[in-house]
Amino acid sequence: MELIIAIFIGLLYACGVYLLLRRSIVKLILGVFVLSNATNLIIFLSGGIQRSGISFIGEQAEKASLESMTDPLPQALVLTAIVISLGISAYILALKYKYFEKTGTHDLDQLSKTDQK
Amino acid sequence: MIVSLPVFLPLAFMIFAFLFRHYHGREYVAVGAAALNLAVSVILVLKTGSEGMLKVQMGNWPAPYGITLVADRFSAMMVLVAAIVFLATMAFSVHALDVKRKRFGFYLFAFGILMGVNGSFLAGDVFNLYVWFEVMLMASFILMSHGGERNQLEGSVKYLILNLISSFFFVAGIGLLYGKLGTLNMADIAAKLMEFDTMPPEINPAFILIFVGFAIKGALVPFFFWLPASYHTPPPVVTALFAGLLTKVGIYSLIRFYTLFLHQHGEFWQPLILWVAGLSMVIGVITATSQFDFRKVLSFHIISQVGYVVMGLGLFTVAGLGGAIYFLAHNMISKTNAFLVAGYVHRRKGTLSLKTLGNFYKEHPLWSVFFFISAFSLAGLPPLSGFIGKYLLIKAGIEAEYMGIALTALFVGFFTLFSMVKIWMEVFWKVEPENKKIKQRNLTNKADLKQSAAWMTWASGGMALVIVLGGVFATPIVEYCTQAAESLMSPQLYIDFVLN
Repeated sequence: MELIIAIFIGLLYACGVYLLLRRSIVKLILGVFVLSNATNLIIFLSGGIQRSGISFIGEQAEKASLESMTDPLPQALVLTAIVISLGISAYILALKYKYFEKTGTHDLDQLSKTDQK
Repeated sequence: MIVSLPVFLPLAFMIFAFLFRHYHGREYVAVGAAALNLAVSVILVLKTGSEGMLKVQMGNWPAPYGITLVADRFSAMMVLVAAIVFLATMAFSVHALDVKRKRFGFYLFAFGILMGVNGSFLAGDVFNLYVWFEVMLMASFILMSHGGERNQLEGSVKYLILNLISSFFFVAGIGLLYGKLGTLNMADIAAKLMEFDTMPPEINPAFILIFVGFAIKGALVPFFFWLPASYHTPPPVVTALFAGLLTKVGIYSLIRFYTLFLHQHGEFWQPLILWVAGLSMVIGVITATSQFDFRKVLSFHIISQVGYVVMGLGLFTVAGLGGAIYFLAHNMISKTNAFLVAGYVHRRKGTLSLKTLGNFYKEHPLWSVFFFISAFSLAGLPPLSGFIGKYLLIKAGIEAEYMGIALTALFVGFFTLFSMVKIWMEVFWKVEPENKKIKQRNLTNKADLKQSAAWMTWASGGMALVIVLGGVFATPIVEYCTQAAESLMSPQLYIDFVLN
């Protein structure tokens, strides 16, 4: 299971980097989203993955063995990271909208007005 | 309690600022809150000076499990300098910033930056550090594009994308680190690493990812491109705030990580850090000489000066680290003040292009003195604070027998002087070239010209005074920095303090 997810993460990174290198700003932004999800999956994977294991145990329940448990901390971290990337996604889309309104272009090569000629 | 205040105070301001519907009240409350933050950080410095380290366990969870805030001398000093920079920029903005930006929450996001910066200085937990980074970045993204001018949006796109990528590097590194060591508390990670005789090879990739993240944030060679591409686009007061605080947080984190974790694998990291430092110094300063925009010259100098700090870290001696800490503090203040002067020039002339400026010394002699003090402090002229910083670093380099890097630092100093003299000649001494286009541009901000600039003068003058005092009365500050460096050099102290 871990191996499959690891390969999947690698593919996501490849897609993300490919999209980042495109000239269109929309594709660039999609690339950022893909990269952020790939990174979240890395954290998720770092705690190890167990099928049908449980994280939290009630007080009355008998002790669960450590082997059958998944580490709950990375999942909490991923939640935090997802919330952060949600906020950033909202901001980045608003920025794109505003930029398009001002300039009417999707082309990254047009981003050179502020450079020294 | 005092440790959590620098984080809590900006948050409280952000909530209470909504009560002040009129922006006019809000700006004075902002200056007041910034002054309060300065008072808190002075107390923090005095307390860490006498007790060494302070900590708070959030929610009373014991150390490796809960979130810890730790203040040692180094972080307390950084919180203090950040508070000085922040107070100056807030006071400056009262008269410098346009009404529209003030009305639409400039102060909210500025305090968001302060909260993120203070939080990163005090974080004792790797993931918590990441979250504070994001708080800081989110607020800075908004300030960068705040106002929605075309140039700003263009700068924001570059700034945003590259900083997000640095965050991905950092988080991916944290994920791998947690997978290998099973802990996120910095002290606990350091303790676990110490159990190994040699650093196991599978841990290094995590640290390399984290290092790249910090290097992008701190604008080190070869990851500095976002900085000069974006720092000259927002209003000058925003640039001053960014230049004083943002890259320095990346460098602070690098110093923290190196002294706690990376030095245990010193034979790999030390040459790397020294090379990065030397290249940053040289490339930053050489590219700065070819620029013809006031703020772009200063932006490229940020890269060069960050190189000095990293050089002190790379030497990894008490003298080197002490010099690096002093230099970092000096640089935050001098650099911010140089940008504040740029803000004043922009207010009076309506442009920051060196070719079209001139005559400033004749028209505004007081501001020329402010610029002289901060620019020549950056270049390292005695008795200003920059001289002490460079002297400490170069002396430490020679003592540690790293002659190459010490000579590079000396050599770079000349180029710094060159570009500061260039700005001085072009903006302050040269006779202003006659040009119809410029005259027109001046007329467009005629309303600005009439406005009072008293708060701007007080803010920049105060910073200039701090620079002079920091150089003249350097002895107690250098002593404090050396003590901070000593406690950084013995990570066992930090580990024992946090875990017990």
